[in-house]
Amino acid sequence: MNNHVLEFKDVWKTYPMGDVHVNALAGLNLTLEEGSFTAVMGPSGSGKSTFLHVAGILDTPSRGLFRINGRQTSELSLKEQALLRRNEIGFVFQRFNLLSQLSALENVMLPMIHKDSEKAMGVLDKMGLDGKYHKRPTQLSGGEQQRVAISRALINDPSLILADEPTGELDTGNAQSIMHILQDLNRDDGVSIVVVTHNPSSASFADEIIKMRDGVVIK
Amino acid sequence: MDLYKLAFNNIRRRKMRSALTMLGIIIGAATLMVLLGVTAGTTTAIKDETNSYMYDLAISPASTTGTLLMDTETVSKIRNMPQLYDFREVTLLSEEINGTRLFFEGTNNWKDVRIINGTEGVVINQAVADKFGYGIGSKIKVKDQELTVTGISKEVTALYVHINQAQAKEIAGNRVGAIYVQTNGDPKTVADEVEKQVTGVSAVTKSDKVEEVQEMTNQALLFMGIIASMALLVGIISVINTMLISVMERTRELGVLKAIGFTNWEIKGSILFESGFLGFLGGVIGVTLGIIGIIVIANALNLEEYMAGMMPVWLILGVVGGATILSILAGLYPSMKASKLEVVEALRNE
Repeated sequence: MNNHVLEFKDVWKTYPMGDVHVNALAGLNLTLEEGSFTAVMGPSGSGKSTFLHVAGILDTPSRGLFRINGRQTSELSLKEQALLRRNEIGFVFQRFNLLSQLSALENVMLPMIHKDSEKAMGVLDKMGLDGKYHKRPTQLSGGEQQRVAISRALINDPSLILADEPTGELDTGNAQSIMHILQDLNRDDGVSIVVVTHNPSSASFADEIIKMRDGVVIK
Repeated sequence: MDLYKLAFNNIRRRKMRSALTMLGIIIGAATLMVLLGVTAGTTTAIKDETNSYMYDLAISPASTTGTLLMDTETVSKIRNMPQLYDFREVTLLSEEINGTRLFFEGTNNWKDVRIINGTEGVVINQAVADKFGYGIGSKIKVKDQELTVTGISKEVTALYVHINQAQAKEIAGNRVGAIYVQTNGDPKTVADEVEKQVTGVSAVTKSDKVEEVQEMTNQALLFMGIIASMALLVGIISVINTMLISVMERTRELGVLKAIGFTNWEIKGSILFESGFLGFLGGVIGVTLGIIGIIVIANALNLEEYMAGMMPVWLILGVVGGATILSILAGLYPSMKASKLEVVEALRNE
C-alpha cells in the first residue's frame, strides 16, 4: 500500500528568462509520508515556492515524475487536476487571498460542492472565529484572516495542506497561533502539512525541516 | 455562495460600470423594440385598411395621363362594363388655403371617420382645426363652394376634410379619383379587359395592392431591423470591453478560485453568466423603455387600436433573448482568457 502523500522523482522545472533557461527545480527527489508535518526552508530563488506550486498542481514539472497520493498528475486531465485540488489539497497563502466581497463564512464555503453552512460555521468555531461569520476580510485582523483562510483550506477535509509563508504577514503572537493550529491539525486529525517558510521559529513546529538550494534538497 | 452569486456580486459591486455597459444594450434594445414594433403595428394597420375595402379592383387614372381625376365619359364607360358591379367612387380634391394645401376626401362610409365632436357632413380633422383655427360652424371655401364645418375627427397626421362623396364629385366637376368595384370572374383578367377597353385608366387587383403593401412593409421592417441591430451591436461591443477589463482586474481572484479547485469550465461559466446577466437586464430595461416609447408614438399617430400589435410577444422575447445571447457570445473571449490564466502568474498579480 502506498503511503506517500507527495513523491518527486528527478523533477525539473525550467523557466525561460530572456535567452537563458533557469532551473527552478533541478532534479528534485523527495518523498513525504502521509501524516507528516514538513517545513521547507531556503533562500529566495532556492526553488521552494516552485516546489509548493508543483506539489499543489498549480504548476506542472518540465520533466520528471510527480505523484500525489499515489496519482501521477501528468496523467490527469485539467478537470481532474482541479477536482484533486478542491478535494484533497488545502492551500494557505502568505497574503491570505480571501475574496474581499465575501464574508468569512462565504469565503469558507466557496470550495464546497454541496454548500453546508453548519459545517463551515463549525470549522470557523474551531478556529476561534465564532461570531465573525459575517465579517468581511477587511473587518478582520491579519491573524483572523489567516484563520479564515485555513478554514477554507480545511472545508473539504483534505489529506494535505500546503502553506506558502503562512506567517509572513503576521506578528509573532499571531504567527505562533497559526503554527499551533497547523500543528494541532496534523497531530489530531492526521492531515499532512507542508509549510514553506523563511522563519525558523515557524519551521520549528514541523517534525521535519527540509532545506533547499538551487532547486534541490540539500538536507 | 457559488460562482454565479459571485458573478452577480461583481455586477452589484461595480454599479456604475455595469450601468454604463448596460446603457449600450438598453439603447440598442429600446431602439430595436420601437422601430420594429412601430413598423409591425403600422404594417398591420395598413393591411387592415387594405383588407377592409370590399373590392376586387381599384380603377384610377393611369399615371401617364397626368391627372388624378377621371372624367364623366371615362366613369360612364367603366360603369357600363358588364363584368363590373357594386361601384364605389372616391374623389380626392385639394385646395390651397393661406399657402397650405388642404385635402378634401369624398366619403361613402362615415363609420370610417372617427368623429370626436359634432356630426357628419363636413368633418375636419384635428390637424386642420389646429392649423387653421377652424371649429364647428367655420366656413371653408373650396373651388366655388363654401362649406360649413359640422364635425371634427380624430386623425391628426395630414390635413384632411371629409365630405360626402356626392358633394366631392360635384365640386370636382363630376370627376372621380378612383372607382372600387367587384368583378364577375377572375379579377386579374377583368383588370386587363378594363385597361384595354377604357383608355387612360389603370386597374389594380386587391391582391396586387396587398402584395405591394406587403413588400413595402417587409422592406421597411428589414431596414429598421438593420439600423436597430447596429445599435445593439455597439452595446454588445461594450460588454466585451467591460468583461475583458473585469477579467484583468480580477486576475488574482480568478487565480485563487483556480487554486482552490474551480475548474476552467466553472470559471468560464461564471464569466458567461455575468455577461449574459448584463445582457438580460439591459434587454429587459431596453424593452420596457421601448414599450413606453411605442405607447407615446402610438398615441401621437392615433394608432392606439394597433398598440398591442406593436409589441408582439415574439418581439419582446426576441429582443430580450437576443440581447442575452449576444452578450453571452460577447463574454466568450473574456471567459476563455480567464480560464487560460496561469494560476501561479495570476496569484502573483497585484
